[in-house]
Amino acid sequence: MTSNFLELKGLYKTFDNITALNNVSLNVSKGEVIFIIGPSGCGKSTLLRAVNWLTPPDKGEVWLEGNLVGSSSSKLTIKEAKLLNNLRAKMGMVFQQFNVWPHLNVLENVVRPQLVVAKRNKANAESKALKILDEVSLHNKIDEWPDHLSGGQKQRLAIARALAMDPILMLLDEPTSALDPELVGEVLIVLKRLVNNGMTMLIVTHELGFASEFGDRLLFMDGGEIIEEGSPKKILTMPKTKRLKMFLKKLDITSFKH
Amino acid sequence: MNKVKFDISYTFDAIPRLLEGAFVTLQVAILGFTLSVLLATTITVARTSLNSKIFNSILAFYISFIRGTPILVQIFLVYYVLPVFGLNLGPFTAGIIAITLNSAAFVTEILRGGLASVPIGQFEAAKSLGISGYALWRKIILPQTFITSIPPLVNEFTMVLKATALLSMITVVELMRVSQQIYSANYHPVEVLSGTFVIYFLMCFVVSRSSVFLENRFIVKRAR
Ligand SMILES: Nc1ncnc2c1ncn2[C@@H]1O[C@H](COP(=O)(O)OP(=O)(O)O)[C@@H](O)[C@H]1O
Ligand SMILES: [Mg+2]
Repeated sequence: MTSNFLELKGLYKTFDNITALNNVSLNVSKGEVIFIIGPSGCGKSTLLRAVNWLTPPDKGEVWLEGNLVGSSSSKLTIKEAKLLNNLRAKMGMVFQQFNVWPHLNVLENVVRPQLVVAKRNKANAESKALKILDEVSLHNKIDEWPDHLSGGQKQRLAIARALAMDPILMLLDEPTSALDPELVGEVLIVLKRLVNNGMTMLIVTHELGFASEFGDRLLFMDGGEIIEEGSPKKILTMPKTKRLKMFLKKLDITSFKH
Repeated sequence: MNKVKFDISYTFDAIPRLLEGAFVTLQVAILGFTLSVLLATTITVARTSLNSKIFNSILAFYISFIRGTPILVQIFLVYYVLPVFGLNLGPFTAGIIAITLNSAAFVTEILRGGLASVPIGQFEAAKSLGISGYALWRKIILPQTFITSIPPLVNEFTMVLKATALLSMITVVELMRVSQQIYSANYHPVEVLSGTFVIYFLMCFVVSRSSVFLENRFIVKRAR
């Protein structure tokens, strides 16, 4: 048991010979908004995916509100698997590639998980879905097929789908990286609203302006480790390590090109 | 000896009985194909979720055995092997079992392709929301697998429909067997078989057309 809202303890993960997570520990309090940056392949996605056990770490534990996520052994018991599903529903995940379900229309994408996991009845699930789709400005698209949506609309749908489960934590893995530049804004608006509503969030992104304005903390990762952490403004303006300085320099150069 | 003339009245006379046979043909084909899809779906889900070497080798052995031998031999084998195990189920049941076992191998391969076209992110999104096990497959993955597999599945059904003619060899009284019974009594095989030919063709034609209908229903409206 632990007093922390979310606690990552000594996470370690290797793929073949690559160390994706090297003894990562992190405490997150309720309502905290944490941004994660770092070069490609440094383990940002693996870290987020370890939190909801989508990528079970080789070693280490994840605790959410005093509940052990996943298992301390490699094989889950039936009880652990059931608890894991309930905990996952509380941790909304948003992917770079949206991963909305193409065989279900917009409304059904948001209703289906509520029926299956939250065991709501259809009427309740639909009214909840309509309310959330309204919040992400997709209320006029409820009968549309995902294939007909723009990237920004798909991502807002994916966020709505996660919010319908009443998550207490959101995990966002580069939510705007696959979007055309002019569509980034509409997704950021939705995310800013989440921040203002007090949602606890872990966000991997290269939107540094967004991070420094809305982040309580910023983590810089490299080689599967957290190299620097602190308030975003401080870290971005006064990087301590050479690696972070280099990384920010590279980002600056690439963002000039836009 | 007289020159043989084509007398279409023999065709018309045969049609009521041919249609009865066609009804049995449809029954065998629909039952066999349905069971085959159920079996192949189970195999597909088991293969992915078990990820077991032993299971996969048995499966590979089964598929190559079915593909590498004539279906007629498979039908006779099932027909004669069942009584060895004390199962006297008759030709109809034996025929359906043979058709099911044969077609399931091909449907498994079709579904393997359909499943491969479902991105891994579709599984991950479902899991991240707490959907797993039966619901994950039933509600999220299999619908997408089947939608992309519509054309080859419809094609496989026409193969099954045509293959049922071979069941006449183990005395299932389906369309082909009925035709044989009629022309061995009236000695007009050409007239009778012409009717048989047209009926088979119409059945297969309607089935392949249904592919277009199903694709419009499930695919086109998504990717306009
Ligand atoms: N499923 C996987 N199989 C093999 N290697 C992987 C897998 N997932 C991630 N990796 C490797 O682990 C490292 C960290 O990956 P990732 O967490 O995706 O990095 P990031 O999100 O920071 O770009 C990379 O070197 C990547 O190639
Ligand atoms: Mg990544």
